This record gives sequence, structure tokens and C-alpha cells, in this order.
Amino acid sequence: MIEYDSEEQRMILKFVYYGPALSGKTTNLLRLHDLLAKEGRGDLMVLDTKDDRTIFFDLLPFFLVAPSGLKIKVKVYTVPGQVQHDATRKAVLQRADGVAYIADSRRSEAKNNAESFGNLERNLSIVGIDIDKLPLVIQYNKRDLPGILPEEEIRKAWGPTGFPVILSSALEGWGVVETFRTLAERAYDALDRRHDFAGTHGLTRESFAGRLVRRTG
Amino acid sequence: MPTDSEGRRRIVYCVGEERSLRDVLPESEAAALLAAASRAGLRGVRVVDPGGMALWGSGDPGPPPGEGDPRRLILLEGEPAGSVVLSAGASRGETQDALLALLADTLTAIAHTNLKRMLTTETHTEVVNRSYEELLETNRSLSASEQRYRELAGTLEVKVRERTEELTRAMAQLVQQEKMASVGQLAAGVAHEINNPLAFVTSNLRTLKKYTERFLDIIARYQRVFEHGGVAQQDRDDLRKHRESLRLDAISADAGDLLRQTLEGTERVRKIVADLKGFSHIDEEGEAPADLNREIDRTLSVMTHEIPAGAAIVREFSPLPVIPCRPGAFNQLFLGLLRNAFQARQEGLRVTIRTGVSGDRIRIAIADNGPGVPADLRTRIFEPFFTTRDVGKGKGLGLTVAYDIVTAHGGTIIVEDTPGGGATFVLQLPIRRGDHDKIR
Ligand SMILES: Nc1nc2c(ncn2[C@@H]2O[C@H](COP(=O)(O)OP(=O)(O)O)[C@@H](O)[C@H]2O)c(=O)[nH]1
Ligand SMILES: [Mg+2]
Repeated sequence: MIEYDSEEQRMILKFVYYGPALSGKTTNLLRLHDLLAKEGRGDLMVLDTKDDRTIFFDLLPFFLVAPSGLKIKVKVYTVPGQVQHDATRKAVLQRADGVAYIADSRRSEAKNNAESFGNLERNLSIVGIDIDKLPLVIQYNKRDLPGILPEEEIRKAWGPTGFPVILSSALEGWGVVETFRTLAERAYDALDRRHDFAGTHGLTRESFAGRLVRRTG
Repeated sequence: MPTDSEGRRRIVYCVGEERSLRDVLPESEAAALLAAASRAGLRGVRVVDPGGMALWGSGDPGPPPGEGDPRRLILLEGEPAGSVVLSAGASRGETQDALLALLADTLTAIAHTNLKRMLTTETHTEVVNRSYEELLETNRSLSASEQRYRELAGTLEVKVRERTEELTRAMAQLVQQEKMASVGQLAAGVAHEINNPLAFVTSNLRTLKKYTERFLDIIARYQRVFEHGGVAQQDRDDLRKHRESLRLDAISADAGDLLRQTLEGTERVRKIVADLKGFSHIDEEGEAPADLNREIDRTLSVMTHEIPAGAAIVREFSPLPVIPCRPGAFNQLFLGLLRNAFQARQEGLRVTIRTGVSGDRIRIAIADNGPGVPADLRTRIFEPFFTTRDVGKGKGLGLTVAYDIVTAHGGTIIVEDTPGGGATFVLQLPIRRGDHDKIR
């Protein structure tokens, strides 16, 4: 958790979309922005400079108020996947409350995925986050493309870790909201243990995730 | 700087600092917009924070806004961060409502843009600063390791110097051994060459002695016959005169002594040659059991010419156990030490060689009554080419060779003062050596 001000009744949470360059992190946030109701969320901030690869990061903020009056802001960041932006990645990863790891499903990207996940593990330990206690969701994106790893292979590889694995096509818009919801639920469980969301703040898992994932229309 | 559970320094930095409306909406920008709205017909408009406190106004007079006044939210990251509100009594209508909504959306957009710019700057600055800190930290640890390496390099230099000295010494010893080996070979060769003629000279002398005895015997018989008549007086007198002129009586008495002494001489030559061979141990390779008392005697016997005239050599030997060693090497060792002792002084030299067993070690002390070795030179004299003597006199290697031979045998050598003045070299050699001490 980034900040919790009990006097002001404010809490700021941070979710991070991590993964190799061009795996679809920004596209995930763009889709969330399109698919989720304007109510309770801010505008997508895409902090990029030269090319289509994110130089700094993207930010999609959410805002909700618990029945207790606790104001909760959820900031969803993406990190730049390029090797040279490791410092930015560390800065963004610092004090994260949840991470969605976005992998590119194509077989040709397996090496990049592995390297990026290794980088995530290393950076988590550098910024002092225990990967075993961190709410972490794995997304295998670009399922609409040919040459992708079969689902059973993915499940076999990730099964032993216990991390939930979600298949998606951010381009076509499916699996994206499910990823976000799963991340929100996992984060809720961790936060509820520490801050008694349900008891003290009257905020159930269902209502927390439901407020964040409010579909348009 | 915070550290992790293992005490490593951790770089902490985090972006996304929380900001209020005031932070992202500078008064200059807000005031200009409010003034423009006022000119467009939205009079009495204000910006209030979520608590209802007025932040900025259009400058128009009027009462503070109340609960029921028309308002529009300004959103910051989806959170209501303030509102634009028309004060009671301000003129209202469709235009005002539209203007109010436009104003709120514009302020939200400006806030969003400013927030984005600030976040970009913040991230950039944060990352650059922290990267700089990380660099400094890296630099610190690099300097530390550089320091370590420099220290290591320092000791390395010492180590290299030590090893070089060792190598120089080993090299010098090899040269010396090589020299000794060739000297030994030469000696053995010469000894062999001498042995052959010596053998027939000795044998011939013995035969000649026998012949001479026979000559003298027959001469004596002839003489007796002559003395007892049968020969003319004239002839007798002539023969006696001739015998006297030849001094045959003295010669007869002398001949035996002469030959005996000559044979003694050849015997001494034989012994010297044997000693020379024994000293060089040319016939032996590797280790052999040796009685060091005998080896010292052998060495002394080949050094007789080096002993200064009038010098007293005192042998205080106790029986020693036979130990396996390279006798050739030990003779070199004794040669070096004895030569050193013989050069200790010109006149009135007294060298005492004392051997004995102390505990599980053989102790050999060679004491002279020379000037002695000053305390500060006592370890240095075993260094190669170190000599206290004039250039050309001492080779400066004898003691080094001695040191190396003794060390190789797992023994020690030190120099002490001789009571009453002089230097005493003390060797201590283990009677039994571990396998790893076996001489190479
Ligand atoms: N075919 C396909 N392309 C995708 C998908 N998700 C993202 N992309 C494309 O992959 C490229 C990189 O996506 P982006 O979101 O910028 O990647 P990021 O570097 O992880 O932020 C873009 O051209 C996207 O249109 C997907 O599910 N399927
Ligand atoms: Mg991106």
C-alpha cells in the first residue's frame, strides 16, 4: 500500500501491469478505459514520448468510497518493458499492492517473457516485496494470434506456482476485465487481512471488485 | 538509506505522489479562466475545495456559496477534488449552466494535463536522481573493492618479491649444486686417473723394496766372504775404499726407510683419492644412511689445505645415529660451514666441532673464535649473495646453500655467539623425518 491516512480516511493503492515490451500492457489499460464506466475512474494517462513503446508509464486511476467513508484511490500503472528502463520499473514497482504480469502468448516471445519475469522477481526483491505474499495474476495475451503456446502447456508451466492464469486478447477486448477483477479480488484479500476492510469499513470483496469493474452501458 | 532483512542497502523511490487541486491548478491559470467566464456572463462563480472552502473566485462581489447553489465537480484522477459553484443571487439560466459545465470540464482537463506533466517530471527527476544515487552507491562499493584490490596488490607485490627471492635462492643453489656436482665429477675423474698409476707405482715400489732387500742381502754376503780371506789384500782394500766412497753402509741403512716412507706416501695419496671420491659421493644417488660424524671427518680431510697454519681444530664428537640423507649435500653443507669458520680469523684460530643428540634431533655446532655475526645480520647471512667479507673472498652462497639443505631436511640452522667471542653455527636435524619432508 502506498499511503493510508486514517485521519483523512484516505487510502491509495497501487496495481502494476508488468511484462516484456509490446506484450500489450498499454492496450490492457486502453481496453479497461473503454470497457469500464466513467463513473469512479479517471482518465487514462499515457506518459509516452517518442515511439509507441512506453517510455515512462501509463496510469489509469480509480476512485471509490467505502461504506465507512474511507476513500480509496486505486492507481493502475504499466511499466516500460524495455531493458533500459529498469530504473523506472523499480520506481513504479515500489510498494505495489498487486501485479498483473502480461505475457505475449507467441512461442517466439517465450524467451522475452522468461527474462521479464526474472526481472520482476529480481526487482521485487530489490524493492523489498515478497513475491509469495504479493497478489499476482498472470495474463497470457494475444490469444488471437497464430503461433501461440497451447493453453495446456501454459497451465502445466504455471500450475505449480498457484498464480491464477488468464488468457486474453487485449486487442479484441476479452480477458482484460477478468484479469483486472482477479487482481482486485486477490488484492482485496491481502488488504482485508491487514486493514479489516469488511469489518471496519463495511467493504466486501464483492463490492470492492464490483466498484472497480463497473461495465459501461 | 533503508536496508533489507539481510542488511543490504535498498534504494527506495516511488512515484505517484498525491496532489491536491491547488497543486495541479495554479492560481494564475484558474483566475484567468474564472475572469473569462465572468466576462462571458457567469458572474459570481467560485472554485471551492471538497470541504466547501472557497479557493478562487472571479472577483465579483456576492455572498459565499451555499448548499443549494448550482455546482459542477472538478475531478482529479476520478476523485472529486473540488467544484465550481455559482453563489446565491447570481443570475442563472441555460447559458450559465452550460458555462458552468464548460468551466468545470476545462478545469478538470487543465488539472489532468498539469498532473500528467508533473508526474512525467516527477518520474524523470526521481529516476534520474535515484539512478544517480545508485551510481554513487555503485561508485562507493567500487572504490571499496578497488581499495581491497589495491591492498591485495600491495601484499601481492610482497609475495612476488618473496617468491622471487626464493626462486633466486633456489636458482643459485642449483647453480651451486651443479658446480659441486661437476667439481665432484672432476674430482672423481681425477681420482680415478690417479688411482691407476698410483696402483702400479705402489706395487712396483713394493717389488723394488723386496729386490733392494735381496741386493743388500747378497752385498752383505759378498762382503763377509771378502772380509774372511780368499781375496788379495790389495783387492780387499780397493773394494773397501770404493764401498766407503759410495757410502754403501749409510745407503743400505737408508734404503729400507726410503722405500717405507715412499710407500707411506703412496698410501696417503690413495687415502686422499678415496676421500675425494667419498666426499663427492659420486657413486651414490638420492638418499643413503649416513653417519654425520664420518661425513664431517671426510669433509675435513679434503679441506686440510684450507686450514690456516697454527689453527686448532677441536673435534668433540658424540656417537650419532645413522640417518637417511643425501651425504653429498651434507658434505657441501659442512664444507660451507667449515670454510666459513676457517676464514673467521688469520692467526690463533680455534674451531670447535661439537656433535651430539638432543631429544629427537641431531645437534651439530661449529664454533669459531672470529669476530662473530652482529645480531641484526643473523637472519640476513642466509640470504643469497649476502656476505660480510670483501668482494671476491666469500662467494656469499655457502651459508645459503647450508640453509637450504638443512631446511630441505626438515632441520634448522641458526647462528649464535661463541662464549668468549666468535660465531657458532648450530644445526638441528630431525632423526626421523615425515614422508613429506623427504628430500626432493
Ligand atoms: N494481435 C494482438 N495484438 C495486440 C494485443 N495486445 C496488444 N497488441 C498489440 O501489440 C502492440 C504493443 O502493445 P502495447 O499495449 O503498446 O504493449 P506494451 O509495450 O506492453 O504497452 C500494439 O501494436 C498492440 O496493438 C492482442 O491481444 N492481440
Ligand atoms: Mg506500453
